Amino acid sequence: MRISRRALAAAATVAVLLPLSACGSGSDGSGSTDASGKVEGDITFQTWNLRANFKSYFEGVIADFEKKYPDTHVKWVDQPAEGYADKISADAAGGTLPDVVNVSPDLVAPLAKAGLALDLDKSAAQYKKEYLDGAWASHQIPGMTGTYAFPWYLNTGPLFYNKSLFKEAGLDASKPPTTYDELFADALQLAKKSDGKVATLANVPTVEDFGRYGVELMNKEGTAFAFNDAKGVELLTKYKELYDAKALDPQALTATPESSGKKFLTEAVAMNPGSALDLGNFKKQAPNLYKNIGITDQITSTGKVNMYVMGVMVNSRTKHTPASVAFAHFVTDAQNQMSFAKKVAIFPSTAGSLDDPYFTKEDGTDETRVRIAAAKSLKNAVNYTPVLFSEQMKTALRNEVAKALQGKESPKTALDNAVKACDTLLKQQG
Amino acid sequence: MASSSSTARVRRQLPTSPWLFAAPGLLVVGVFILYPFVSTVVNAFTDRRTLIPGTFVGLANFRELLHDDMFWIGLRNSTLYVLGVVPALVLLPLLLALLVQKNIPGITFFRSAFYTPVVASIVVVGLIWVWLLDERGLVNSLLESIGVDRVGFLSDQWLLLLSAMAVTVWKGLGYYMIIYLAALANVPRELHEAASVDGAGAVRRFLTVTVPAVRSTMVLVAALSSVAAFKVFSEVYLMAGPDGGPAGEDTTLVMLVQRTGTGLTGRVGYASAISVVVFVVTVALMLLVLRADRKEDA
Repeated sequence: MRISRRALAAAATVAVLLPLSACGSGSDGSGSTDASGKVEGDITFQTWNLRANFKSYFEGVIADFEKKYPDTHVKWVDQPAEGYADKISADAAGGTLPDVVNVSPDLVAPLAKAGLALDLDKSAAQYKKEYLDGAWASHQIPGMTGTYAFPWYLNTGPLFYNKSLFKEAGLDASKPPTTYDELFADALQLAKKSDGKVATLANVPTVEDFGRYGVELMNKEGTAFAFNDAKGVELLTKYKELYDAKALDPQALTATPESSGKKFLTEAVAMNPGSALDLGNFKKQAPNLYKNIGITDQITSTGKVNMYVMGVMVNSRTKHTPASVAFAHFVTDAQNQMSFAKKVAIFPSTAGSLDDPYFTKEDGTDETRVRIAAAKSLKNAVNYTPVLFSEQMKTALRNEVAKALQGKESPKTALDNAVKACDTLLKQQG
Repeated sequence: MASSSSTARVRRQLPTSPWLFAAPGLLVVGVFILYPFVSTVVNAFTDRRTLIPGTFVGLANFRELLHDDMFWIGLRNSTLYVLGVVPALVLLPLLLALLVQKNIPGITFFRSAFYTPVVASIVVVGLIWVWLLDERGLVNSLLESIGVDRVGFLSDQWLLLLSAMAVTVWKGLGYYMIIYLAALANVPRELHEAASVDGAGAVRRFLTVTVPAVRSTMVLVAALSSVAAFKVFSEVYLMAGPDGGPAGEDTTLVMLVQRTGTGLTGRVGYASAISVVVFVVTVALMLLVLRADRKEDA
């Protein structure tokens, strides 16, 4: 047997041309938007780092669903928190996205734009009334009609502070700052009294901080960013003062939420945002800090605290639309959200659930106090992070903020540049 | 005519059996190396995004690179990394190899100790160094205890880059030391003895006997370490954070590829264009080192 040079040349040509086939229009897939058929078939459900702590809860939910719909089988997969967006993008690009996926609003946006998220306003509109209006709207994408995920659990949290560090700086530990002016004044005093050794904040301002400060983040049409207004410049100028006085941790420019959490644990910073979950962590990992822990409300200029929203999306290419929609609704219905909330410090997005005595009646413990305060604040909370604010945009903002804090650019120039970069990225998203 | 044409055809035919034997290897190379490589080059000329198939945009991505500040920062840092790390990795492992080459009691322990960082996970190594160099870490505590002000190893853009280079050198010492040990084993002992008899001291023997004898190994180490240094990712990512240090000033080219091309809104086409530049510079570096070696030979 012989192989001709022509055959070899053909093989080489295929190697070169095959990647080109990736260009052009994508496949329309085989999914249906009709969720009214019989609930049956094998579906896959993907969660975001939940197996380690809630294995039995999810196995119970799945067993209940399979009991209710005997012709279904749910395969549960869980992905680690690290690189979750990359895992979803690899699955989405490779056509292996699970039928039902745990997502956040910023993850839904590109999936919806690529036609991979089922529009629930078309396929599951009858369930809309079961959820809080704001929560249902959190998975709507500016520039698109429709809602692309069931709202799942909500979270928000207080601001923790270290009472002993406040006392050492001559501050009244029973009166933590409640306004931005008080926060900045206390932070400067803490830095001055500790000779720059104790910072009050460990993170540079993020887009949600600008939102909480009352800065308009995007124009009304959702087509351009607007956080370079006078209010935005004012906030960044204040942060620059804190940075220069070491009231903002010198390593804040490279900090992550995890690293700033550790700084608070080691009492290197005096304040840190968190959730009711953190109290147990303080008790276990930093008993000395736990003895001195102070809890206060998030500081806002808008009167509305920030909340995080989790959602459950249905893959528009699923071969079992009725089963996938039914399962996504089942996981997020009032009963299952309530029982999940009793296992971990999260809050249901279903209408009326936050009026349950579990979220309204005090029992004298710190955990309950934090839970009740958070549930109360959630009633008018806002997810400040714009749905279209991608990871690349977050990086662009952080880099420009860092330049302003280092004095390489004025706060105005830095925010102008950040808005310009984010607008370019927004246009490139299509 | 017919006869000469069939002879030509026979001459053009290739035997099949060797190809069948090579097929599994070729398949692996084709699927995991050739296809991704060609795919990257093709994507570099498109505006492909993670979830949106691209269209052909010609040289637009490369033109955009020229005006992208972050690309130039990445190119600067990757080049500085080569300039900082390669000389250290060519020289220090050689000195280390000379130290542990001698057969004295307990030397195996030191050889193993020097090699340990090579087998340690880069993530673990990175985290340990972050703890050591933190504002409140061991190094700064020691400095403070002797009255020296704390140093912002992880907050100053240049100190961060230098710290990452130090970790790369520290982690690579053992690997290149092993390569040098193999080369030194082939240096005839008589050469050193003759040089000693002629009155050459330790430094002179090193320069006139050891270095010429291991010169080709030094070129190999220079080539390997310069390619690795130009493509550095983990050390800088772990120490400077995903943003690449304050204001992204410590970003390297490979970090930029990762940041630009991954995630649901990743710009695969643009990231591929950066990858092509990394590839071209890497090949150029290799050629430069090999050319320098050939010149020396001549």
